[in-house]
Amino acid sequence: MTQQRGSERQLGQIIYYIILWLVAIAFFLPVLWIFLAAFKSGGELVRWPPKWIFSPTLDNIRDAINRPNFWEYFRMSFVFSIGAVAIAIVVAFLAAYSFSRFKPRGTNFMMFLLLSVRMVPAAAVVVPVFMMYNAFGWNKTFHGMLLFYAMFCIPFSLWILKGFLDGVSVRFDETALVNGGSRLHVIFRVVLPQVKPGLVAAAIFNLIFVWNEFLFNYLLGGKGTTMIPVLLATGVNQGGSVDWSFIASLSLIYMLPPIVAIFLFQKYLLVGMTFGTVRGEV
Amino acid sequence: MAQLGTQIESVAGARRIEATQPRLSRWRALEESRLFPAVLVLPILIFFLVWNIIPLLWLLGVSFYRFKLTSAQPEQYIGFENFRRLWESSVYWGTLGRTLTFMVCSVGLATVLGILLGLLFWGSARMPGRRLALTLLFTPMILPPVAVGTFYRLIYDPTFGVLNYYANRITGKTYDFLGDKELAFWALVAVDVWMWTPFMTLMTLAALGSVPKAELEAAEIDRLPWLKRLWYVVLPHGKFILMLGILLRTIDAFKTTDLVYLMTRGGPGNRTELVGVTLYRQGFEAFQMGNASAMAVIALLIAIAFTSIYLYVLNYRETRAALR
Amino acid sequence: MRGLDRQSADLSRAHVQLLRDVMEGRLSRRAAVKRGISLGLSTTALAGLLTARRTPRVSARQDSPLAGKTIDMTILGIAGWPPSQLGVTLAMEGFKPYAKETYGYDVNFSFEESPFDQLFQKAAASLSTGSAQYNIIISDSQWLGALAEPGWIVQLNDIIAQNPELQIEFVEAAQQGYRIYPDGSDQIWGFPQEGDTIALYVRQDLFTNPEEREAYKAANNGEDLPQTFEDWEEVDIDRFERIVSFFHRPDQGLYGTSLQYSKVYDFISCYCYPFMFSTGGEIWEGDVGSYRVEGVLDSETNAAGLARCKDFVKYGPEGVTNYGIAEEVDAFTSGSLATCLQWSALAFQMLNIDMNNPDQPADPSKPINRDMVLVTVPPGFRQADGSLRRTYTLGGQPWVINAFNDEDHMQVAIDFMKWWYQPETQAEFARRGGNPTDKATLSRPDFDTLQPHFRAYRYMLEGNSRDFWHDPNYSEMLAVQQEAFSAYVTDIEDDPMDALRYAACEQQRILFDNGRTDVEPSDSCADVTLG
Repeated sequence: MTQQRGSERQLGQIIYYIILWLVAIAFFLPVLWIFLAAFKSGGELVRWPPKWIFSPTLDNIRDAINRPNFWEYFRMSFVFSIGAVAIAIVVAFLAAYSFSRFKPRGTNFMMFLLLSVRMVPAAAVVVPVFMMYNAFGWNKTFHGMLLFYAMFCIPFSLWILKGFLDGVSVRFDETALVNGGSRLHVIFRVVLPQVKPGLVAAAIFNLIFVWNEFLFNYLLGGKGTTMIPVLLATGVNQGGSVDWSFIASLSLIYMLPPIVAIFLFQKYLLVGMTFGTVRGEV
Repeated sequence: MAQLGTQIESVAGARRIEATQPRLSRWRALEESRLFPAVLVLPILIFFLVWNIIPLLWLLGVSFYRFKLTSAQPEQYIGFENFRRLWESSVYWGTLGRTLTFMVCSVGLATVLGILLGLLFWGSARMPGRRLALTLLFTPMILPPVAVGTFYRLIYDPTFGVLNYYANRITGKTYDFLGDKELAFWALVAVDVWMWTPFMTLMTLAALGSVPKAELEAAEIDRLPWLKRLWYVVLPHGKFILMLGILLRTIDAFKTTDLVYLMTRGGPGNRTELVGVTLYRQGFEAFQMGNASAMAVIALLIAIAFTSIYLYVLNYRETRAALR
Repeated sequence: MRGLDRQSADLSRAHVQLLRDVMEGRLSRRAAVKRGISLGLSTTALAGLLTARRTPRVSARQDSPLAGKTIDMTILGIAGWPPSQLGVTLAMEGFKPYAKETYGYDVNFSFEESPFDQLFQKAAASLSTGSAQYNIIISDSQWLGALAEPGWIVQLNDIIAQNPELQIEFVEAAQQGYRIYPDGSDQIWGFPQEGDTIALYVRQDLFTNPEEREAYKAANNGEDLPQTFEDWEEVDIDRFERIVSFFHRPDQGLYGTSLQYSKVYDFISCYCYPFMFSTGGEIWEGDVGSYRVEGVLDSETNAAGLARCKDFVKYGPEGVTNYGIAEEVDAFTSGSLATCLQWSALAFQMLNIDMNNPDQPADPSKPINRDMVLVTVPPGFRQADGSLRRTYTLGGQPWVINAFNDEDHMQVAIDFMKWWYQPETQAEFARRGGNPTDKATLSRPDFDTLQPHFRAYRYMLEGNSRDFWHDPNYSEMLAVQQEAFSAYVTDIEDDPMDALRYAACEQQRILFDNGRTDVEPSDSCADVTLG
């Protein structure tokens, strides 16, 4: 009897897992279609009926990486994503520590204002920044672009990190201080390791944001400060027709790093989104 | 608890000697001064000043002008004229209404679906390949909107789009998803829901994870029915994170620009024209900076309204926590 | 914020500096002219400045200042638009060695690109910062006003006056469309790069098929299918409809025709305007300061024209209301269109011809090749007197020169233009499918036969095409019009007059708000909405 129930439960478990897998695959299917398109020849791509099985070709990918500007744009994607997020995390962490521990007056108001800027449509942000950059001569400059992205990464990082810091007992700080540790020591050696999931989650989300950003880069960037999404948006038309192969292979190359990132850092994403209410596994 | 204390002790004590070196004394003075919290906040304040305050003032200022970048005429002060125009413009109101509809539909659907999927994946901790499955599930939300916008044009294409192929097999008809006046808006909502349901799933999983294990076990022992368990045990803990997810999504949906711009350009006619697209056009197709700034101010006010809701929810939670 | 006062103060300061430079001989004559032009000086003022020089040193050869230097030039052009690409390719292949040989300097070209509807944003976003990032820009014809008004591009009259090589006679439509701003003035701002007109692409393999001809005759009281260019000259829009409805066989994957009904950029405007222009419709009237759109654009004639334009949606493939340039190329070259209205600049793409090797197909796997297609004139419109009229929209782009270029880049840009109009360059341009606009090339006796599309192109360019607004507010006016026309062809708006009313009211308001007219939109405009 128990054995039978056990195997029934096992069967239920298997069906349950199969359903989960099917759901996951269903969501991935359109992406898979894009990825498959990268390996199709131009004719196969627009064939009716659509083909799932075909003889793959690497020509499109080879063509995409051999386009002028590809490597430069790709490099800038890395430089801006990593640079801006690094700046933002440091700045946000220091501020979050201060807000969390010293609770200076205006903390809530500041957090509120910072976040509300993040909530405005991109086009609304870019209008004044564009005019300001014009006046300062920062348009199309490297630092103009980098710091702008850093600014955009700060609010979300600040919110996540403050959540996590609030969750770290003040007794850590106190004990370390009593033992003669300096504040910097406390901040970086004692508290920082405790909020690692928050740091990683903030970094991942912001990395993905900068990595995928198009509008600001298109309008504020120029030679030497352009990233791949601009190429994705402007490279659709080639030789008078729509070059789906190019877009597909470029998308494939460009989407892989974030996908790998969420595979590797998945548990931090889950913990990170609890905004510090959970310390363990989710 | 005692264990935690020792842990703190050892972490803090390990570098005691290093930390007391005299060359740090000036730092120590600074650290102990009342200015220290401000010093830590200084970098963020600088960012805030340069990238938020100055552009904001600029924005406010320009919104009172007629200022066209491609015009030889100097800018002209016109008071609230830009705002009055927008207030009286049925087109702009239509766009705002459409944006709100988009927001409600897209966020609503993504939330319902996301929560259902989150619950579905809740018990999957020991599933083989769970990490990979979740990666596949989360992929849509990390894709560049420009790529998604372009690619759904291919998927939706009425002559060779893969979706139409299957639609045709099932219904015997082909659909011009992005060209039909009734379908285009919903085709857009569908893509947005597809992209962001995984985010709501993520938030749901985070919310479920924040429920203390002990309470769940107690509910298990009490043999509380499933729905009651959700309502009385899970929701009080998870509500905050879930609300956070919904609000973040609401705000992002309000901002949607790239996706629409690349998929439909706001067409057919004006059927998918959203606030973000209109603003972009005013600013960077027409270069009417005055008018665009006025629109941006309105968008900012709406965003602040959303943020207030957001903060209200947060404070509500804090008050509750304090009461307990 | 720029004030007019500060601007003019800056200007007069710059004038004084220029005068001083000229007096002290620090500035070459050419540089003085260039700087004078960019300061907006008139010819007489410039002449005054130049004669003020004490020792006028007549330079025999103007190449010396740049000899031995290496100049990097950046061209901003239209992404995915083959004529732009061709211009840059030729520059790299042809001008580079030419400059080395003739002027003794090295020049490297790089190409930055953006699609049609985003290129102006890119250009304006750069130029508004006073940047010389893009030294030469391929501008769409309608942008001339928007680029010229703020002084972002070089006014060319004086440069042309000084360089006999640039005194070229262009076809009237090209002169008006690609060079002049404001309309009716003699101010020149652009050099024609690519001429362009709408042409009709016909699947000759279908049209000459005896069975098809018999079937068509039987169905249309003995009327035959047009076979030759001359036959098509006689085709009016009603006969065209009979023809495309005959070939419209969706169940066989064949569609009658396609027009560009897309909301993107100027697509639907360009393809529905001919239905208005050719039936006597106008889009605005008056001059700067008194433009009238309301009551002109929203006329009965135009409403009928717009309705007629929409009639052809039903002979198009599914989704034709989202068709633009690229979609048409894809549909036509995959063999699913019997006829297609498309820019003649895309003839090589439509006919599947390799631009670098015009004897070869670009993509051998595609079912279409050059022998199967006739490029001819689009249908005409019957006038009251029984004659046929064709007034189609002019396409095409001029080169414009960045006013913020330094002296070296300005010189290279001018040298480049001189080279561009050399008969050999234009011949090579034509050989690879580019559309020349100068009278000398167009009047070559063999011109019509040089390329499959040249006869239709020349026919349409010489008197059968016109451009629309060059006004600086063109992008705003276009956006509302695209929205209105798109709403009408997708059935969001049922009444063509309401769509036109919407566009007319909005355009009148845009012009009024920007001080381009003193005619306010009428009160009834307040009630006009779409759909």
